[in-house]
Amino acid sequence: MNPYLAVAVLVCTVGLLFMLPLLPALVELRRKSDALPLSVVQQNAGEIRHFANSFRDYIKGLEPIMQSCVAAGTSATGTLLDGEEYVVLGRLDEPLVRALAQRDATHPVVIAAGADLIAPPHATFSRDIYAGAKFQGGEKNNYRAILGEKDVHLGASSRVMRWVHAVGEFTADLGCSLFGRISSDSLIRLHANCSFLRLNAPRIEVGHVVNRETGLPDSSPSNAAVLRRFLHDGDFEVHAGQIISSNIVIRGRLLLRSGARICGSVKSLDDMVLEDGVSVEGSLIGARKLSIGPHCAIHGPVVAERELAIATGTRCGTWEHPTTVSAPSIEVEEGVLVFGTLWARERGQVVASP
Amino acid sequence: MIYVLYSIVFVICVYTGRHYWFTLNRLFGFQRHPYIDIDTADWPPVTVLVAAHNEERVIANILDALMAVKYPADKMLVIPVNDRSTDRTREIVDKFVEDFPGRIQPFHRVVGKSGKAAALKDAMELVSTEVILIFDADYIPGAGLIKQLVAPFFDLEVGGVMGRVVPMNVNANLLTRLLDLERSGGYQVDQQARMNLRLVPQHGGTVAGVRLSALREIGGWNENSLTEDTDLTYRLLLNGWKTVYQNRSECYEEVPEVWPVRIRQIMRWAKGHNQAMVTYGVRLLLGKHRATLRERIDGTLLLGVYAMAPITLIGWALALAVFYQGVAPLHGVIAVLSLTAYAALGNLAAFFEIAAAARLDGTRKRVSLLPFLILGFAVSIFSVSRAAVSQLSDLVTGAEFHWDKTERFRKVL
Repeated sequence: MNPYLAVAVLVCTVGLLFMLPLLPALVELRRKSDALPLSVVQQNAGEIRHFANSFRDYIKGLEPIMQSCVAAGTSATGTLLDGEEYVVLGRLDEPLVRALAQRDATHPVVIAAGADLIAPPHATFSRDIYAGAKFQGGEKNNYRAILGEKDVHLGASSRVMRWVHAVGEFTADLGCSLFGRISSDSLIRLHANCSFLRLNAPRIEVGHVVNRETGLPDSSPSNAAVLRRFLHDGDFEVHAGQIISSNIVIRGRLLLRSGARICGSVKSLDDMVLEDGVSVEGSLIGARKLSIGPHCAIHGPVVAERELAIATGTRCGTWEHPTTVSAPSIEVEEGVLVFGTLWARERGQVVASP
Repeated sequence: MIYVLYSIVFVICVYTGRHYWFTLNRLFGFQRHPYIDIDTADWPPVTVLVAAHNEERVIANILDALMAVKYPADKMLVIPVNDRSTDRTREIVDKFVEDFPGRIQPFHRVVGKSGKAAALKDAMELVSTEVILIFDADYIPGAGLIKQLVAPFFDLEVGGVMGRVVPMNVNANLLTRLLDLERSGGYQVDQQARMNLRLVPQHGGTVAGVRLSALREIGGWNENSLTEDTDLTYRLLLNGWKTVYQNRSECYEEVPEVWPVRIRQIMRWAKGHNQAMVTYGVRLLLGKHRATLRERIDGTLLLGVYAMAPITLIGWALALAVFYQGVAPLHGVIAVLSLTAYAALGNLAAFFEIAAAARLDGTRKRVSLLPFLILGFAVSIFSVSRAAVSQLSDLVTGAEFHWDKTERFRKVL
């Protein structure tokens, strides 16, 4: 073979081999099949009622049918524009409830009720439910999602897979498992042994709540942000009844003894324990485990990076200044009151108070 | 010469290990997003500074977006910092002030030192809120972003907050696609891993926030710094304040669409970073302050990132020189094994990081552009090295730093 040709063949072969890994790159560069900006538009970021609002829009087309069913006291079935089957219930009476219960163990239809709705026990509702009036669920039911224009009450040991929004009060009886988002425009009430992830309401009562003076004013906003900062390396203890008028940042363990009052915010880089009757006017941030209570009062956001335990009688936020209580794992005793958001990223559990 | 080469190889190996550590942490470690769930609170008053120098192409977009965010309107004041603009920026800003009375307070700066830090420093006379957010004019914040960036300030240890930057003009050309991948690796992996590991997430100076009392404590904006964000990160750290990163607080930005603009941008970043390295490097590593040991080490490595380009070039030159001198750097077998190991793992570290970031972002095809990053890498290594050389020559000649504004590519409204 001609030596020049051989060199040329060698160069071409090496060049080709070198270009081979670039082939997918060249194809993608030309086709631009994945060249859109990342989808990060946050118009609904953090809006707990987003799904409920979308479902309300979705169900709007059924409104005339619901009205006529309510007026006539009948029910109707049909198919929505996207092919979903629906049942519209215009009255609440025994035959209807029985029919609903006997239809199947599962109910793969969208249910829209213009009147009060009582869901039979031991049923699975694998499509969304709209209740134009009160919703009362039987025991051991499984729900995908519920939108209630008035109160929503779930029977014991029920499960919610995606979301519930109640314009009125939301109540979950003993042992309910609430996956996803639960919101109410007035009140959420959870009983013992309920598990939860994300809750939002002006007032969240865990178990039976007894109103009691907490030492924190209800209406004055926190001025924690403008106070000076006390920074301490190592463990720290605030004595019983001690009042501290500054923000405190502790790079170690922190123990706040009974009755201590912090007129500012608190941060600990290790475990933090609040004993009986401690009050904090600002935020409470723990980089590890955080144990609050009993009978504590926290004004600002409460965040624990690992675990959070809240004992009975504790109040977080106020009616005028709702707040967020958040941690990957939260254990709340009955008797705790939260105004705003209670958000367990991985696991939230209500436990009976001792 | 051989010992210098050994040192360079050691430093490169440290950075390689760091890339792997960060990437593996992002893929398998515990992810920290402690403040992202704060969605209900007694939100504090906030001032949003929008740095603008000849931004007629983009300023209306960000002001529109800021007027639409979900934050109590009576608690948020927007201050467009119009820094000596000679285009229609002033006119556009004034129109917004008219349309949204009480919500925008313009700061029209007509004289003064050039540079973002100097402009922000002058604008501080209008700021009275404890929480300050900063955006460059080419950014477009989403509706929930302000709350997300304010939330970390409920933690009194936090002095600075940084959100994630996401390019919006990705499909313009090869450069923008490569920058999209680089940004992805830098934020999705690097910054979040630093956050996870309690190291030193870097304040980026945009999609960012700073606490007024912390800023005052550290002496305000440093107008002599070319990268006020890096400067701020280190002064906060040295004074016992943390900078935190919020990976889910994303904001669109416009990346350079032509190479000369990109080269000027990265050269400015390199000079500013090197400036911070000289100013704070030794003090951070060895000084008496409140940074932890891991923060000291990571902070020092972060400061040295842009110095690695000229060091790598020197390493290559030394390796060639050593080879032609006939010196055997290591025993033959060890040398071959080291070379093979580095070729298999070391060269791939940065690519691995970016590929992992693309996976975490849930994108599919864009990762196939990875081989082209060699091109971006080559441009960067020479541009950054050129910046370092010019910085050294400036030291000798006494020339002052020059501020290069990044050109915009959006169509004028």
